[in-house]
Amino acid sequence: MPSTQRSPIPPGTLDMLILKTVAAGRELHGFQIADAIERESREVLQVEEGSLYPALQRMLIKGWLTAEWGRTSENRRARYYKLTTAGRMRLATEIDAYRVVSEAIGRILHPAP
Amino acid sequence: MRAAELLRRLRYLLLRDRYAAELEEEIRTHIDHRAASLRADGLSAAEARYEARRRFGNPVAIEERSRDMWGLSLLEHAASDLRFAVRRLRSRPGFGVAAIAVTALGIGATTAVFSAIDAALIRPLPFPNPSRLYTITADVPLDVGGPRPPGLRHRANIDDMAAMTDVFERLAVFAAGALNLTDRDNPLRINAGVVSQDFFATFGARLEAGRTFDAGEVRPHGGHVVVLSDAFWRKQFGGRNLLGRSINLSGAPYMVVGVMAPGFDFPNQSDLWIPLTNPTTFDSFSAFRGFLPTHVVARVRPGFSAEAVSNRVIARWVQLAGASIPGNANSKGLDDDIASMRVQRGAKPLREDLVGKTRTPLTMLMGATILLLLIACANVANLLLSDAAARRREVALREVLGATRGRVTRQLLTESLLLALTGAAVGVGLAPTLLGLLRTLMPADLAGIAPAELNLRVLAFSAILAVVSATVFGLWPALSATRGGAAETIKSGGGGGSTAAGLGRTRRAIITVEVALTVMLLVGAGLLLRSFARVVSQDRGITSDHVATLELAIKVDRRSVRLAKLHAMLAQLQNDPLIDAAAIVNDLPLNGTSGMSIGVQVDGEPTPKLRNDVPPMARYLQASGGYFKALGIPLLRGRTFTAADDSIAPPVAVINMAMAKTWWPDRDPIGQTFVSAARAPVTVIGIVGDLRERSLESEVRPQMYFPIDDATPVTLALIARSKLAPDVLLPRLRAAVRAIDPTQAVYNVRMMDDVISTSLAPRRTNTTLIALFGALALLLSSFGIYAVISYSVTRRAREFGIRAALGATASDIATLVGRELLTMIGVGVALGLAGAWGLSRIIAALLYGVEPHDPMTFLIVPAVLAVPALIAGWPPARRAMSVSPMEVMRAE
Repeated sequence: MPSTQRSPIPPGTLDMLILKTVAAGRELHGFQIADAIERESREVLQVEEGSLYPALQRMLIKGWLTAEWGRTSENRRARYYKLTTAGRMRLATEIDAYRVVSEAIGRILHPAP
Repeated sequence: MRAAELLRRLRYLLLRDRYAAELEEEIRTHIDHRAASLRADGLSAAEARYEARRRFGNPVAIEERSRDMWGLSLLEHAASDLRFAVRRLRSRPGFGVAAIAVTALGIGATTAVFSAIDAALIRPLPFPNPSRLYTITADVPLDVGGPRPPGLRHRANIDDMAAMTDVFERLAVFAAGALNLTDRDNPLRINAGVVSQDFFATFGARLEAGRTFDAGEVRPHGGHVVVLSDAFWRKQFGGRNLLGRSINLSGAPYMVVGVMAPGFDFPNQSDLWIPLTNPTTFDSFSAFRGFLPTHVVARVRPGFSAEAVSNRVIARWVQLAGASIPGNANSKGLDDDIASMRVQRGAKPLREDLVGKTRTPLTMLMGATILLLLIACANVANLLLSDAAARRREVALREVLGATRGRVTRQLLTESLLLALTGAAVGVGLAPTLLGLLRTLMPADLAGIAPAELNLRVLAFSAILAVVSATVFGLWPALSATRGGAAETIKSGGGGGSTAAGLGRTRRAIITVEVALTVMLLVGAGLLLRSFARVVSQDRGITSDHVATLELAIKVDRRSVRLAKLHAMLAQLQNDPLIDAAAIVNDLPLNGTSGMSIGVQVDGEPTPKLRNDVPPMARYLQASGGYFKALGIPLLRGRTFTAADDSIAPPVAVINMAMAKTWWPDRDPIGQTFVSAARAPVTVIGIVGDLRERSLESEVRPQMYFPIDDATPVTLALIARSKLAPDVLLPRLRAAVRAIDPTQAVYNVRMMDDVISTSLAPRRTNTTLIALFGALALLLSSFGIYAVISYSVTRRAREFGIRAALGATASDIATLVGRELLTMIGVGVALGLAGAWGLSRIIAALLYGVEPHDPMTFLIVPAVLAVPALIAGWPPARRAMSVSPMEVMRAE
């Protein structure tokens, strides 16, 4: 049962997290993506669902994801998202950018002697 | 990558309903999944559902944000703005109609005038490289049979010009006239060009079928052939193959040798072209029954400026003329010729020659039209501002519900744009009517090759005008409606307080500007009206009422035969008891042409002063003895011609006052002699009053009349004065000609008053239009004043009520309103007069006999404006005076 206070996703990283979640050949629908992020972050991060779908739509327009309607294991209709080649390249770019920023922050917090 | 994205966006645009439904389903599914997961965690079904929904947030808002990602929001918002604007306008039809009508007026007028300017000044002539086409001053050699008179100086002609191959690529001569297609029972009058061999090549016109004239056909008596225009060929002959067949022109067969490609009909909307021979003979013009004036056109090689071409032509003239004079005989005449050539300029760009004097009046008209447009915009802005005040509450509510200020402003601007575009569409529909009125202002030669029309450029101009107008009159009201905090506005009931006063100030400012612009327009109209009155009341030098005229060209037979015919026609008329006087002259006065002027030399008198660096010349006229009486030209001294003044007797002439004063300033010219045109010395036998030649606005020039018995004209006008009504008199004039020669064609059969009226037409059109604009502006301004004062009174009703309760009389209240009214009008008038003072210099070129700063006009205009303005303010003032204090208090 979720009881601990979860942190919101840092601004600007939602795209990256979504793309990473769908990487490795996975096809997930919206809820699964949100759930995966929560689980794989060990329940630290909570996806604000209000930003999930606009982000997904944006990435569809930009061509980083494609979507297809399918059926879940409970035979419900759901829309499955898949990473594209362009999306893979975008993910790499975003990861690099994030690394640069976090290293820079790290240097400020733990300045070298 | 970008292109693919664009395509995706486009797909979303086209299928947005489907995608929206899918999104909605997707979100519902998501919430279901969340609920299921919560149930798995132990919540009850109802709790899980509730929690899932709560966690998700507002589905509608999220759907909208998601859809925003598609990037279509701009389009969707625009579409909904438009729908909303249409609905609002339909709910207030009076407002909509008023705004659209005013906009239509402004944009329609501006479009029409711009279309005229586009045709005359902007649109390139429809020939390849039209800027290299020039009209050249050169003689066209004429072979009338018989030897060339001796002693004539060589005047540069087209062969001399054609030899200047370094300047001219090609040279052509053309004349334009009308003749009859006599293929059928009813002859059809058509326009024809008489053109030299190189004409089509000079203009770069293309052939559609057959060929143009060959070398043999442009030699004198080279055979009758004709080239047809595409339009005429299709319309008259159904486009069937006519090559090698003959058509009948004025009774003679002409073989069709070619058809031009569509779009070419120079000069003067020609339906067909026949050859002009070199040298020209009468045979070229036989179909027209008389000579036509010829013009020389050349295509100049690249690299020559207009100045350079002109100088080369003049230099050649001088060279040829100088070389042909033995010794220094008649060198003074040569100087005169050259001086007059410099004034005409040896060469002029074709467009300038065609457009000529219409540039200034057209640009002036454009200025006046733009003033009218600005006034119309101010009026609509006023209407919108009054609307904006009423909409404050609605706008505030929308902001509270979540619309941003930008969004609301965009919606209001959409309304303005809708009004403007609808007004523009209506205006463009009205423009052709106004264009019809403008035609008298357009140069006649241009009417065929460059008709004023609503082409793409003009329509684009209208659309841009509409957008600019919408911004001009829509932006301020839109900003003003969205100003002020939403909460405040709703609390205060939406209509009162300081913002309302600010709105009133804005509206008053707009009306003040409107009044100023109206004053400027009225001053312009006033100056033009006074000019027109001056021109019309000009001493014409003739008595033009009850005078009928017609023009004709007599086949050049022997001079004696021609003269006999003329005398016979005169006799026909003089023998008619109901005709008081009959006469003949080679050029009618006030007929729009300058005719021929030649140098005059007088021995023993001081050389007359140069005018405009050119030695004065005298207009060469040939007239019958009864001419002066027929036209009411006073004979001031001496006598007029009699039958004795023929070609055998010593040459005589009658001169006008201007000529007398120019060449014989101190002496009586009667009995003196002068030399002109290398003829034997001419004796002056009489002096007549001055009259104007080209139009009532021309200066008076020296004029000399030679008797027709001595100098018999080929083209001439027949004149008859009689008290008969025109519809009786004109046929009698025609009949007189027909009685002598039934085959003689006549044209321009009209009363002398009509001749004058035609010469006045351009000025009259210009003046009428600007006066009309002034009247419209006055109407719009009055309406604006009424609206603003009305609004102000409504706003101040409470104040008036209180004042009345405190003892103010009706006249006190009236004074208050009156003061507001007068301030507005006063400031507007002052600004307008100042603006008119500055701008009237620009209009000076169009004025006649009136100073640009004419005090009377500047005084009358404010008076003219004040009357409707004060009348417009009266009803609201009355309303103010009748405000009852009790009602106002109760409404609190």
